[in-house]
Amino acid sequence: MAAAATSAELLNPLMARIAAGERDALRQLYDATSAKLFGVCLRILSDREESEDVLQDVYVTIWRRADRFDAGKASVMTWVSTIARNRAIDRLRARGPMAYAEQVDELEIADGQDSAETLLSAADDRNRLQGCLSELDDRTEKVIRTAFFEGVTYEALAKRMDAPLGTVKSWIRRGLAKLKGCLQS
Amino acid sequence: MSEAPDLTEHEALAAEHALGVLDARERADAENRMARDPAFAADVEAWRQRLAPMLDSIAAIPAPQGTWQRIERRLPANDDRVAPANDNGQLLNRVRFWRNSAMGGFSAAAAALVAALVVGNQPATILTKEVTVQPQGQLLSASVVSQDTRVQPLFVAAYDPDRKQLIVTSLLPEGSDRDKVHELWLIAGQDNPKSLGLVESGKAKVIALPTELLAKMADGAALAVSLEPPGGSKNPDGPSGPVIGVGKLSKL
Repeated sequence: MAAAATSAELLNPLMARIAAGERDALRQLYDATSAKLFGVCLRILSDREESEDVLQDVYVTIWRRADRFDAGKASVMTWVSTIARNRAIDRLRARGPMAYAEQVDELEIADGQDSAETLLSAADDRNRLQGCLSELDDRTEKVIRTAFFEGVTYEALAKRMDAPLGTVKSWIRRGLAKLKGCLQS
Repeated sequence: MSEAPDLTEHEALAAEHALGVLDARERADAENRMARDPAFAADVEAWRQRLAPMLDSIAAIPAPQGTWQRIERRLPANDDRVAPANDNGQLLNRVRFWRNSAMGGFSAAAAALVAALVVGNQPATILTKEVTVQPQGQLLSASVVSQDTRVQPLFVAAYDPDRKQLIVTSLLPEGSDRDKVHELWLIAGQDNPKSLGLVESGKAKVIALPTELLAKMADGAALAVSLEPPGGSKNPDGPSGPVIGVGKLSKL
């Protein structure tokens, strides 16, 4: 976990400096995290221009809310990625309830891909979630992953999976309950 | 995997919000609920944490050239300073300015403003009919924090533009400041503070905003709370009592 420790050592102090109004610290955070966050936005929106727009919002938000970052609760990378994902989903919703991005690939998640960014997060958390997701039945795993990576609504998922809304909803709810149980055990 | 017990309705909603499957309206409701229900907010956070490791598998892609410069241009001015990043201190000074100018009563500017404000400072009225609009507005939230040595949140507020509602929750113990009331103010642009009404200690309140204030509910505007005699500030154009907290509205 040397990589994760280094990253926390590098990024945590930046948050305090950003909260204190240091633009240079935000710039450093941008350099360390923007490619990852742009990847997150692009994954959900599949549109470079919109993704860049959202990315700008994300860093302005980080600038304003850095004082709310709590190192005891989340890593910097998780915190900023979550903001990016939420903003991208908000943008997707603005396109309408059935909107989803046309994904180039059909959901094959590059698990083995170890980019520098991958190393920034705790690998054991990832493996744990990975393990618990793979214990779900294939359909449930797929629908939860699709929901997460594409940020689409129940409605859009139901249409895509050609299943009734209520059914998709219960797959996901049951899947999430199992996931929680597995992660706690 | 053994059968897991079903999630409670409350937690299922938190998990769905974290996963991101709610539609625009439900999402807005969930965000509002997070602002007024700390237990729900904690559940959403816990679910975000559980799911976050999935983000690891998303490949990093360099952002377009020039993005940083565009971000830098959007950073609020005056933020390069030693003191806190949010400009709460500055806002507080502005509220105090209004208070002082109102109380002094000698300043020509203040007098002119009093005249201008008789119309403008109507208390928020309750809309009886909800207008259905496309849920596309940007939700805003604010945490009104004390300006003493110990910074602590006193009120939290969430604004839902689709419903034209501001939900304010007092985090102060019920019954505190017994012979005083807490009055909520909106500070937008260079306008004088607009009263949004009184908020009881320990209670949450839904405030339906009058149309003329909707445009002012924007990222960067701020909320302030003052301590006033029963019935609220006697001054038409701002707080008459001490301002106990301020907080900026920012996009959720």
